[in-house]
Amino acid sequence: MGGIRLGCECEVTDRQKDQVIILGIETSCDETSAAILVNGTDLCSHVISSQIMTHQKYGGVVPEIASREHSLHFQPVVQQALDEAKVGFHDLSAIAVTYGPGLVGSLLVGVSGAKAMAYAAGIPLIGINHLEGHIYANFLHNKDIEFPFLALLVSGGHTHLILFEAHGQYRVLGQTRDDAAGEALDKVARTLGLGYPGGPKIQKVAEEGNAQAFKFPRAMLEPTSLDFSFSGMKSAVLNTLNSANMRGETLSVPDLAASFQQAVVDVLVRKALMAIDQTGVKTLLLAGGVAANNLLRETLSKTLVERNIRLVSPPPLFCTDNGAMIAVAGYYHYLAKDYAPWTLNAVPGLGLV
Amino acid sequence: MKYLTIDTTTKVTAVALAEDGRLIAEGFLHTAKTHSERLVPMLEQLLTASDWTLQELNMIGVVRGPGSFTGIRIGIATAQGLAQVLKLPMIGVVSLDALAWAGLGRTEDIVPILDARKNEWYTARYHWMQGEEKVDCLTPPQALSTDRCLEYLKDLERPICFVGDAVTKAKGRILEVLGENAVILPDYVSLPRGAYTVRAVWQRWQELSIGEQVRPYYIRFSEAEVNWAKKEEARRKQEEGYKGHE
Repeated sequence: MGGIRLGCECEVTDRQKDQVIILGIETSCDETSAAILVNGTDLCSHVISSQIMTHQKYGGVVPEIASREHSLHFQPVVQQALDEAKVGFHDLSAIAVTYGPGLVGSLLVGVSGAKAMAYAAGIPLIGINHLEGHIYANFLHNKDIEFPFLALLVSGGHTHLILFEAHGQYRVLGQTRDDAAGEALDKVARTLGLGYPGGPKIQKVAEEGNAQAFKFPRAMLEPTSLDFSFSGMKSAVLNTLNSANMRGETLSVPDLAASFQQAVVDVLVRKALMAIDQTGVKTLLLAGGVAANNLLRETLSKTLVERNIRLVSPPPLFCTDNGAMIAVAGYYHYLAKDYAPWTLNAVPGLGLV
Repeated sequence: MKYLTIDTTTKVTAVALAEDGRLIAEGFLHTAKTHSERLVPMLEQLLTASDWTLQELNMIGVVRGPGSFTGIRIGIATAQGLAQVLKLPMIGVVSLDALAWAGLGRTEDIVPILDARKNEWYTARYHWMQGEEKVDCLTPPQALSTDRCLEYLKDLERPICFVGDAVTKAKGRILEVLGENAVILPDYVSLPRGAYTVRAVWQRWQELSIGEQVRPYYIRFSEAEVNWAKKEEARRKQEEGYKGHE
């Protein structure tokens, strides 16, 4: 079992009555992860067993193989998280688990296991929306975030602008109409021969490229729309490559990567600013795998400081799929007594409404 | 010794409570809802109706396949989750072995057939020893095309008793190929039942007298693995072909 030990910031020693201890479980895609979180901010253990190596030879995540891996690793990962935090099931306040969106077979391993554990331990089960989990990763180190705030969720499957009025009260203001930002980065990376996952590879190569070398379009859609569209931008890169190939020219991969990354970041930043102007919020939360992108973080940071808007983003480790963020979201659901019934099912296409 | 059994390897959710091999309570649901929605609520109802608590249990048995891949994992994850919290030993049994108990005491060979999609069955062949609660496995578990399976059984020229979730749909075909040698049991006997799992689990517990690590038993590889192996095979042959020309 290849679970790695991460970020041990505390240890549960004397359990006090006012302590809320949440076990967070995440199995929606290709990471089996579990974390023990005390009072919403003290991460006592965090175990992530990644399957990246298993799926590499297939060029992407194979759902049935992912499910089989979760089935083998689920129990040891949870046990490791408990052992490292030095807690038992009887110490837990609740168990929080991702129930969607994601791969149905993978989700069902986590949901079934978590449900049985909560039932046997006689504690509440909490179902967490994976997307909400990503956004709540920000509360791990910033319990003082004030409502209302805007969240920009950018990952391989999602590009969302969401307005949060209070815990559990949110509204999607805009989302992608075709490719997610991370998906477009993955596809362009594959075309450029950079491999998978594309975001980090593009970022690395782009460091040596000129972001002004190619003028790729910035799809903004209707003047007030907060929706996104990355498909056309991705096609522009492919077209540029194809016509160069036909002329027998070779283009600079670092320049292409840097220019495309710049185009994607420009759109994300501009839309986020539009959403801030439209809503008047004072805080922006960044979340999702693409939130780890340095150019996006730096550009947003610079732009928002000028406007006196607070930017919060999770450390890179908490941008990818992890059990800690599910535990954080679970903590706030626990405070609101928002528990799941024993009939909880996986919802692969779960949205944010 | 009190124990719980779980079988979610077919479209039936089957849960049972038992004591020393004796069935105490049984839940059977063959509805449109998913295992995930039915399993824990059913367990809770059985415990309440039996005046049992989870804390009284001494062991947990689960059917580990073959059958629906997702179903196998739901059953095992649930059984493991319960066992992990309650610190109980686990026993895993094969779905086809458990179904053999549907034909206990019969003189024909017992052939469980489970729908494996793609015109295949998960199947095996058993024979009950006369006057004993012991079964011989004559043909080991495998995934077999329905045609090949029926041809094979026809050539045996023996009476065969069919059980399992594929029986209802295949009844006509079975009778057509095997004629008088085919015995078809009604679905309330031949579908997976907690009662059968209870016996199979008890027998395995008596053999092992200790818990075991339960792993899924899929029989089949995933399609991605099969396709990848085919590609590798083709690539190797091509390489060998080139070498042959050198």
